[in-house]
Amino acid sequence: MNTLFFLIQQTMFFTIPLLVVALGGMFSERSGVINIALEGIMIMGGFCSILFISFMQDTMAGQPLLLLAILIAMISGAVFSLLHAYASINMKADQTISGTALNLMAPAVSIFAARMIQPSGVQQIQFTNTFRIAKVPVLGDIPILGDMFFQNVYLTTYIGVAILIIAAILLYKTKFGLRLRACGEHPQAADSVGVNVYRMRYAGVMISGALGGLGGLIFVVTTSTNFNATVAGYGFLALAVLIFGQWNPWRIALAALFFGFMKTISATYSSIPWLVQLQVSGYVYKMIPYIATLVVLVFSSRNSQAPKAAGVPYDQGAR
Amino acid sequence: MKKLLVLCLVLALSLTMLAGCGKGSGFELALVTDLGTIDDKSFNQGSWEGLKKYATEHNKTYQYYQPSEATNAAYLEAIDLAVKGGAKVIVTPGFLFEVPVYMAQTRYPDVKFVLLDGEPHTEDYATYKTEANTLCILYAEEQAGFMAGYAAVKDGFTKLGFQGGMAVPAVIRYGYGFLQGAEAAAREMGLPEGSISVMYNYSGDFAATPENQARAAGWYQSGTEVIFACGGAVGNSVMAAAEASTGKYVIGVDVDQYAESNTVISSAMKMLGNSVYQALEAYYGNKWDGGKTWVLDVNNDGVGLAMDNARWRSFSKADYDALYKGIKDGTYKINNASDISIADLGLKYVTVTEVAD
Repeated sequence: MNTLFFLIQQTMFFTIPLLVVALGGMFSERSGVINIALEGIMIMGGFCSILFISFMQDTMAGQPLLLLAILIAMISGAVFSLLHAYASINMKADQTISGTALNLMAPAVSIFAARMIQPSGVQQIQFTNTFRIAKVPVLGDIPILGDMFFQNVYLTTYIGVAILIIAAILLYKTKFGLRLRACGEHPQAADSVGVNVYRMRYAGVMISGALGGLGGLIFVVTTSTNFNATVAGYGFLALAVLIFGQWNPWRIALAALFFGFMKTISATYSSIPWLVQLQVSGYVYKMIPYIATLVVLVFSSRNSQAPKAAGVPYDQGAR
Repeated sequence: MKKLLVLCLVLALSLTMLAGCGKGSGFELALVTDLGTIDDKSFNQGSWEGLKKYATEHNKTYQYYQPSEATNAAYLEAIDLAVKGGAKVIVTPGFLFEVPVYMAQTRYPDVKFVLLDGEPHTEDYATYKTEANTLCILYAEEQAGFMAGYAAVKDGFTKLGFQGGMAVPAVIRYGYGFLQGAEAAAREMGLPEGSISVMYNYSGDFAATPENQARAAGWYQSGTEVIFACGGAVGNSVMAAAEASTGKYVIGVDVDQYAESNTVISSAMKMLGNSVYQALEAYYGNKWDGGKTWVLDVNNDGVGLAMDNARWRSFSKADYDALYKGIKDGTYKINNASDISIADLGLKYVTVTEVAD
């Protein structure tokens, strides 16, 4: 039983950053802007917020510090994504190229800035992890469920779940969501009924920036003791989750869970007795999420749910 | 207006370039970094500190150069740059420099090369040649690993873990030394055979990833008490996992990593700075030992276990001194082969569970 609880707790460490970042990507692409800059945005978000934590951790600790760091991560991610938004919306640049530029720029900027800002002049930013919640009061005592979801967790897990619910409501139940989706499917039509396409696309990209930055923070806090200008390709993995999830928040959540679970299995199968007995190579578990993505792409390519206008710069004059 | 701006820019550029020429002699001591940066808390940083120490004490100019990417061509380019910058001695930390230095040592016969952790050879490993202007420094990692394993078992741990990075010879020697150290301590303490268990894995990278964190967390969760994290940033993932559990520890590697996390109980160290310092001292003292390979071990303070900031529960400085002496006088025989399998080590007291990548 302990193994099961452990697996679920670890799966959350993988799933939540993927989920949050993929949801961010969803908002951007639903508004019609392809955002492959997620990796770079994660790095910038992680950089700013971890730097904040490292400067503030002498005066405060625990959840208040984490909440402030989350705010910083989201703001810095959103600001950084503005570069992508400006290039691809106002300047009508190729969105893949501007995204790549951001991905290349982010690690360089964060290394340079970390060295300039930190008194020690090093590129790694150390932080002390005071954010883990050993046990949520009351809820943690519930048998089984408490062990699974309310022990050994981070506040960010619940924030991730909240973001999922808010994202689904925002996208499907509000005027804003309808307009956003219209801009991604047929911006000319949206414009003809008075929706400001540029503004909606800016909103989409900035939401993706905020969530991407948050994802960067969650990623670093749960998996390392310092920030070293990298998020190990999880921004790109989040793109795979986004496609696997067919641009739908609930499917994205399932895809993130699936990816997270398979990643957990591939990394920890050596500690799970019955998996060791199966004698399956660890490589197989590692491959499964990617093979599954390919299979899903093959079967869904005909009726892909990808926003029709994603990647196409909107030109008002071409109406 | 635009033209004027461009003109100004060009002028400014050429002026700064001229100013650069006027400076003359340049930097006498140079270090070319390998994968990672100058403050990687590992190889680059350790050797850079030694170089810096010598340079400031003896009033020499110094500079480091970072290759644009991790290829032989880029490393060679950085070496070219260092030579153009006036370098007389170039320090190249890491086995990745074996091929670039092989080429550079004949291209620049007047420049001295200090190659840490490797020996120059051609790309296909067919020819090994160390010219008179090159000094190779190797470390007895197995001794450092041995100390870590020995101390861990002496300190009362019975469930250990070894988390390596890429399975390169240096990492393998650390790992095998660790196992042999645990074996020796268990035998001394009269523990029953098979009483020490070790989880053993090479992650195949040198990065902090959730996979590495999860693997370590899994080991800790299933009973492992202390993990020897031997792969650069992989260690940070292991520390994150240790911090998320209670009463779990990490043994650091290469340099004293105590400041990175409260869970770091000690570190198996190579005295990188020391060896660079020694090499430079030899060069300026006209005792340049070119064409040779120094193997630094306990006999010349080349390896060791971090004790100043250690958090051992019972393993004391006296225990460490006895261990150090034991390795020195040959009481402990340590196999330093890296091309054998774990079974060939003939361990009795230690049961190893090898985890595939």
